[in-house]
Amino acid sequence: MRSSSRLVIEFRDVAKRFGQTMALAGVTFTVSAGETVSLLGPSGCGKTTTLRLISGFEQPDEGAIEIAGESMRGKRPYQRNVGLLFQHYALFPHMNVAENIAYGLKHRGWPKAEIAGRVSEMLRLVKLQGFESRWPAQMSGGQQQRVALARVLATKPKLVLLDEPLSALDAKLREELRAELKQILASVGSTTIVVTHDQDEAMSLADRVMVMNRGRIEQEGAPDEIYARPRTPFVARFIGRGNWFSGRVSHPPGKAFARLSTSAGTSLWICAADAVAGGDWSACVRPERIALLGPGAKAEKPGDNLLPGQVVEIINLGAEIHYAVDGPEGRLLVVEPNREGPRARRGDRVSLRFRAEDCVVLPYASDA
Amino acid sequence: MTGRALDNLLRLLGMLMIGGIVCFLLIPIVVTVVMAFDARAYLGPLPPPAYSLRWFRRFFSDDYFLRGLGTSVQLALLSATLSLCVGVATAVALDRGSWRGKEALTSLFLSPLIVPPVVTGFALLLFLSGLGLSNGFARLLCGHIIITVPYTIRSTLAGLSGIDGSLTEAALILGANERSAFWDVTFPLARTGIVCGAIFAFAISMDDVAVSIMLTDANTYTLPVALISSMRANFDLSIAAASVLLMLATLALILVLEKLVGLDRIIGQGVFR
Repeated sequence: MRSSSRLVIEFRDVAKRFGQTMALAGVTFTVSAGETVSLLGPSGCGKTTTLRLISGFEQPDEGAIEIAGESMRGKRPYQRNVGLLFQHYALFPHMNVAENIAYGLKHRGWPKAEIAGRVSEMLRLVKLQGFESRWPAQMSGGQQQRVALARVLATKPKLVLLDEPLSALDAKLREELRAELKQILASVGSTTIVVTHDQDEAMSLADRVMVMNRGRIEQEGAPDEIYARPRTPFVARFIGRGNWFSGRVSHPPGKAFARLSTSAGTSLWICAADAVAGGDWSACVRPERIALLGPGAKAEKPGDNLLPGQVVEIINLGAEIHYAVDGPEGRLLVVEPNREGPRARRGDRVSLRFRAEDCVVLPYASDA
Repeated sequence: MTGRALDNLLRLLGMLMIGGIVCFLLIPIVVTVVMAFDARAYLGPLPPPAYSLRWFRRFFSDDYFLRGLGTSVQLALLSATLSLCVGVATAVALDRGSWRGKEALTSLFLSPLIVPPVVTGFALLLFLSGLGLSNGFARLLCGHIIITVPYTIRSTLAGLSGIDGSLTEAALILGANERSAFWDVTFPLARTGIVCGAIFAFAISMDDVAVSIMLTDANTYTLPVALISSMRANFDLSIAAASVLLMLATLALILVLEKLVGLDRIIGQGVFR
């Protein structure tokens, strides 16, 4: 039994409907003190509704929400001591930086004498000393988001919500600010929920990822686990890229591996424990787990899968190279790091090799 | 080559049209201003042979006009203030969320803009007489609030619509209750629209003839009504002088407005994001 005093927030069977649309269909989760959790999902999955329920901008139709052991039923946003970082910063344009950061402190009843000190402390934390009298309109997006973060953290909220915190920034800045955000949140020891549709954001910021789909949490786990062991086709598709194979599973006697036979005639080795024989199953292989080899390559170990193919397209992304390879199973994607040495060229015949352990086996879904 | 020539021709035509419109708008005003300073005692052809302030002296020595001016200023200040309170409250309510009948209610509140003022004035005269309200100033005040409220509502709505909803939410989640959020965030950001509405209301009230003429009594009348009736009795150029004074007042208002709006633009470049 977890000690409930350590729980910062608890959702129990929370449901929310907007007209005919079921935005949340019974969501249960907890977040403990000091944890950073991300809610990841496509638009319309219910993550924004969850965020608005926590903030108090919406009330649940069913279920209970507790923050620090206290029921939030009927509590207005200003009665909750929750911090929210908005996607588009939401800085007050008619107040300067210091006034923006002091706003929450004033309304949370901080003594006047302490406010100025706290404001400069927060500006130091986000590395914007000397910006006190700037107007939001005079600052870059990254700077505005830091001021917004300082404004959120100033009042020491019990729980910090980040709504797509970096998506309004350009790619380079996003990476810089992501690292900094992580470090700042860790340094103040805040309990954080990151709401995002961006898997990089979710995986890199959080200790635990909750993948949402159609108003439910599909899977919950460490970022590694979510990526390597997705439990549903949706999660496998939503997180990262994959090559999909579907077919019937058989267990050849005396083998450590099971066999997945596709309708195109390919047979793949998969881990025997993953699937029951006789049923239809899908296997997903991550593109970076596939090795691109010469046409004469051989299986090295039991459980190695080999597929023939022809390179039809090469996309160089700098750090990695994406190969589109056509074979009997249709077009497959292979990702290799950009290293020195000979490379496959367009039109080359190749062999693709991956291990049985690299196949994520999931119940067959027609759209998979 | 021909395309370019056509472009130039069109541009020239555009310039001519703009010039024509500007002349059409400005020439009568210029004529009025020149005639207000005419030194002749009668209405003669332009340009006047000599200039003087006689018509201004005449205006300021005429009790009938001064009384109208006094009533007009009082009425405009009072009706602009009341119409501002009503308009801002209405606009804030209309702006909040979306609900059934919102559009219909908005149109209803703005309908005095569409109803001809003569109709509004006449209907109000019948209605108020029916109620037994015979005080001229009270009647005028009712009429002026009705015709100015659409302006304060509309310009407040315009001011509110530029405000990002997440700003109010940010204030709430930072610990401000709804009332503080309104005064700290919504009101200052909608201020330009609200001030514009007030100035519009003042100007409309100062300017109105059609509604006022229905609601005046022998002792209470506005300056425009006084000007019209004196024009019918004996036409002289003190009307031109009064027009110049009204223009100066309007100019002052516009300068004030420009100062306020201009200032807002400088401070709040992010306001309308």
